[in-house]
Amino acid sequence: MDPANTPLGKMLLDEITPVVMVLSTPLVEEASLKNHLSFVQMLSPFCSFNNIDVPVRTASDQPYRLQKFKLRLFSASDIRQPNLEVAKEQLKHFISQAGDKDDMFSDPPQISNLLASSESEIQPSWFQFFNKELVRTVSFSEHEAFDHPVACLLVVSSKDEQPINRFIDLFNTDKLPSLLNDGAMDPKILKHYLLVHDNQDGSPEKAAKILTEMKSTFGSNECQLLCINSSHDGPVERQDNPWAPYESDVSPSQCVGCFLNIDDSNEIKDLMQDLSSKHIIPYMEQKIRFLNQQVSATRKGFRNQIKNLWWRKGKEDAVDSPDGPMYTFSSIESQIRVLGDYAFMLRDYELALSNYRLISTDYKLDKAWKRYAGVQEMMGLTFFMLDQSRKEAEYCMENAFNTYLKIGSLSQQNATRCGLWWVEMLKTRDQYKEAAVVYFRLCSEEPLHSAVFLEQASYCYLLSKPPMLRKFGFHLVLSGDRYKKCDQIKHAIRTYRSSVSVFEGIMWGHIKDNVHFRIGQWYAILGMDDLAVKHMLEVLACSHQPKTTQELFLRDFLQIVQKTGKTFEVLKLQLPQVNISSLKVVFEDHRTYASPAAATVRESLWQSLEEDVIPSLSNVRTNWLDLQSNSKKYKESNVCVAGEAVKVDIEFKNPLQIPISISGVSLICELSAGSDGMKSDASSSTVELQNDDDFKNLIPNRDMSSDNVSFTLSDVDVLLGGAETTVVQLTVTPKVEGVLQITGVRWKLSSSVVGFHNFESNHMKKKNAKGRRKSKHSRSDNLNFIVIKSLPKLEGFIHSVPEKVYAGDLQRLVLELRNQSEFAVKNLKMKVSHPRFLNIGNQKNLNSEFPACLERKTSSDPSCVGDSSSSLSQNVFLFPEDTLIQEGTPLLWPVWLWAAIPGDINFPSRLHEFLVRMDVVNKTSSESFQVHQLSSVGRQWEISLLQPVDTIFPSQSLMAGQSLSCFFMLKSCRKSLTSEDKTTLSPVLGSDVGLGPEDTNQPLFDVSSSPLADFHNYERLHQEMSHQGDPNAVDFILISRPLTSWDSETPHLFSHHACHCRQVPYQNSGF
Amino acid sequence: MIVCVAVVGHQNNPLYIQSFTEADDALKLHHIVHCSLDVVDERVNNPKNLDQLSMRHFWVFFIPLKITKYGYLTNTKVKFILVTTDLDFFRRFHAAYVDAVSNPFHVPGKKITSKTFAERVSTIVKSFGLSSAG
Repeated sequence: MDPANTPLGKMLLDEITPVVMVLSTPLVEEASLKNHLSFVQMLSPFCSFNNIDVPVRTASDQPYRLQKFKLRLFSASDIRQPNLEVAKEQLKHFISQAGDKDDMFSDPPQISNLLASSESEIQPSWFQFFNKELVRTVSFSEHEAFDHPVACLLVVSSKDEQPINRFIDLFNTDKLPSLLNDGAMDPKILKHYLLVHDNQDGSPEKAAKILTEMKSTFGSNECQLLCINSSHDGPVERQDNPWAPYESDVSPSQCVGCFLNIDDSNEIKDLMQDLSSKHIIPYMEQKIRFLNQQVSATRKGFRNQIKNLWWRKGKEDAVDSPDGPMYTFSSIESQIRVLGDYAFMLRDYELALSNYRLISTDYKLDKAWKRYAGVQEMMGLTFFMLDQSRKEAEYCMENAFNTYLKIGSLSQQNATRCGLWWVEMLKTRDQYKEAAVVYFRLCSEEPLHSAVFLEQASYCYLLSKPPMLRKFGFHLVLSGDRYKKCDQIKHAIRTYRSSVSVFEGIMWGHIKDNVHFRIGQWYAILGMDDLAVKHMLEVLACSHQPKTTQELFLRDFLQIVQKTGKTFEVLKLQLPQVNISSLKVVFEDHRTYASPAAATVRESLWQSLEEDVIPSLSNVRTNWLDLQSNSKKYKESNVCVAGEAVKVDIEFKNPLQIPISISGVSLICELSAGSDGMKSDASSSTVELQNDDDFKNLIPNRDMSSDNVSFTLSDVDVLLGGAETTVVQLTVTPKVEGVLQITGVRWKLSSSVVGFHNFESNHMKKKNAKGRRKSKHSRSDNLNFIVIKSLPKLEGFIHSVPEKVYAGDLQRLVLELRNQSEFAVKNLKMKVSHPRFLNIGNQKNLNSEFPACLERKTSSDPSCVGDSSSSLSQNVFLFPEDTLIQEGTPLLWPVWLWAAIPGDINFPSRLHEFLVRMDVVNKTSSESFQVHQLSSVGRQWEISLLQPVDTIFPSQSLMAGQSLSCFFMLKSCRKSLTSEDKTTLSPVLGSDVGLGPEDTNQPLFDVSSSPLADFHNYERLHQEMSHQGDPNAVDFILISRPLTSWDSETPHLFSHHACHCRQVPYQNSGF
Repeated sequence: MIVCVAVVGHQNNPLYIQSFTEADDALKLHHIVHCSLDVVDERVNNPKNLDQLSMRHFWVFFIPLKITKYGYLTNTKVKFILVTTDLDFFRRFHAAYVDAVSNPFHVPGKKITSKTFAERVSTIVKSFGLSSAG
């Protein structure tokens, strides 16, 4: 690539070009000001030539042609070093303006987008202008010659008195720039004389006369006439105004260049081209030749070199000032520098380079560091323009940069310019990473400039290959901090926002939180509260932060929210966190209204009972369509009853270590009246729409508004301590029939921010994931309800159910039916699951005496008998037609309990306890025994007495021929066994019941030890023939001893073994 | 002194960051450690650095904040990062070395046996590690 076409090349061809000093009389300025332009401004647009095509010869007579050329015009008063403070102030103003243009509302850029864009798209466009202005702050320095005017344009108006004298006076005033006066440059420069005639002042005849006079005085080649303001017909309308860049200086109503017609601009163009090609370029060419001869004569050749070295060595004791020794324009050093710069401007880079090299060593020896740095800088640029020796170019730039910095703060601006050129050089060669480092080194005490450099550095990291995103983010943050320090909040926000996408989705919470927090704070300063809140929300649930930080975040957040005075509604507010998986719905549908205990009973049991009671549905259905929609509707939705609360249990968790208060926790529901299934679909789609819009601050509150009477919601206030988890029960009570949807939960954090969380979105996902298993949805998952009209709520109790009855025992109990609802109920039917035990009585039985009511009546009532028999056959009891149960008037009805079999009847739970009946027969003819103990074998059984021993054995013994039966309680304790117990389980272990006389309190025998256990095992094997292995079989051992009266030498012990006793409805073990 | 040590997981997630300064600079250190991962990535992904990689060592020069970072990469791609303000560790080490080999009695290429060198090295090392504890 041609170096001249690179950004740096263009920059150099723009900035390092011959300067023309313009000296004009006030009347000239007056004439040009009619166009709202200074004279320099009027000429400037025509100073840049893209195809000038001027033949030039190098110092060694090599011909080449200059195609592009540019002159820089400055009025004499501007040829001085700019005031640094003023320049800084201007830049600050400029940066502030650039910040105001930023779009603060758009979404922050995404990394993927940034990576796909080019440099110019990513960076703010004002960077270039900023850099250019910084470069210009060091213009017109003594130590470099390219800013020194090459020519002087003297301009006098035809209206001026004694124009010839004016020309002479112009150059002789003391107002000439110091550069010319203090000997830094040769005051004898090319002069060009220009007479300006304002055509509005009359015909140019007088001007022509003056021109002739001028030509005779200053020479015919050096004088020219320029006629301006030729437009007589009012302001000129232009398609593309060459002076457009100056428009911002004046108010828009004034037309810039309004009196300059096409002839004028052509004349100016010709004038400048003439000045360049016929005067300035040849002049520079000549000067190069002259200087080159000088330099050759004094510095080239072996003799001169030795002489120079000798002479310089002798000067070693010279003063070591930062500027080095003073070099006047006539010194050979200055001349070499001028030669180099002129050659550079005429693009003879070889010549320029050789002279820079020559002078560089001189300055170094002289310790003229600033000049040395300046020459090194130019050497680097010349290397670049020659497109050779990249390493050397960079080395020169670095050397110049470091040297400038070494001199001290006075040369900071020079270092900055050098750095900016160096950066451009690196960028041209795609060395973005190195460029970033240079930008970093440009940072000085000036925080605003540092901020801009850091931001530019960050983009270099982004553009480097491969991109260094973390450094990109880090430098943006550094830059933002400095912008903030300079009160450039909008810029600070821009940089921080750009860095957000870098820190998104990584585990570095500290950094991410800080970025969002700062952006939030800054938006709040600007009063952009919505955005402030949005960013603050990102950091609220910062459980990884220390407690103090959490407090700070929450406090600032609440302050911002309070300042706005608005109520924010935030979807998925993270304070507190909602545990969706903990969601539990408790409700009663049209069939069940029951205590929790009843609700846990197996559904099949209720179904079997319902079968006879509910009339068959098939009669009601008219066709298959009806049938399908019906069943579908009921399958997908739960059914709840108007006026009855649906309870939702949900868990809230405080992620922070500090307590938070939440108030007004309630459900968000939608109830569409009417039972149309289509409507529920429609409302669910609106819910999904809301999910797309994550952040909204809608004020209208759909559900809480007082005029909404279709349902009522409960409100709960909770104070959550640090890291606390609480389950909150919320209720919604529909008032009318329709479709109720519980869509989410809402709450208010610290009574200022409303958070809400949609259940449905989560639920929808679940559904999709499950796919085919849709039908298997558990009911509690489904938050759609079909609200049916209010129903009676019937509660039934049986008063004083006895815990223990004896077999055959008949008792009269009272059933109380109570209605909790205002809707009366009639046509009652009842079915009992255990008709063998429980029978429904007759109303008449209630008031009469028991058992007197069962006595044979003198006047028997046949209807009563008929009733009972009919109910027996159907198993369904029909209450009399006129039975009406209303709220507050319970119905009492007798029921009969009869213990048909011994056992523990637990309606309807499984049997775990058994009654053991033991029949003992003493088959001996004469002996009496004392029954000592009964043991069950196996650890899973536990036997206990049901009655006191005294009642079983009144005589404490079993006489000869006596038979006796008694009951024991056998309890299964299998459930309580742990796996540990099982491993240690030995076959003969069990529990014992002592049956001996109570007062004696004899010790029990251990049936789990030999020989009893061994005998038992043999006996068990023997008895196994008849019973095939039932795992629930139980073995018993009865131990008895002969009565003491039974005379004998040795003590006796009898044991009887009953093995494999199965658990039949009742236990009967005979010995 | 050592300012901070950090362990970073193979997905570049922070596993452990411990600061050894009194100041409240957790955020700064997070940034510095996070940023250094770019350099780690660069070294790891650049085939030219395979030799260096086998050493699993690299160092990062972080000029503006006057700190130096050292990194170490395990073969499970876990990174250890050490942040120190001791810019001069190697420079001082180098100075000690130069002095030692400048000894006219030292034979180049042979082991450095100078006791003075050993003492200086241990002084440097002590000041490097222990100044934070003190």
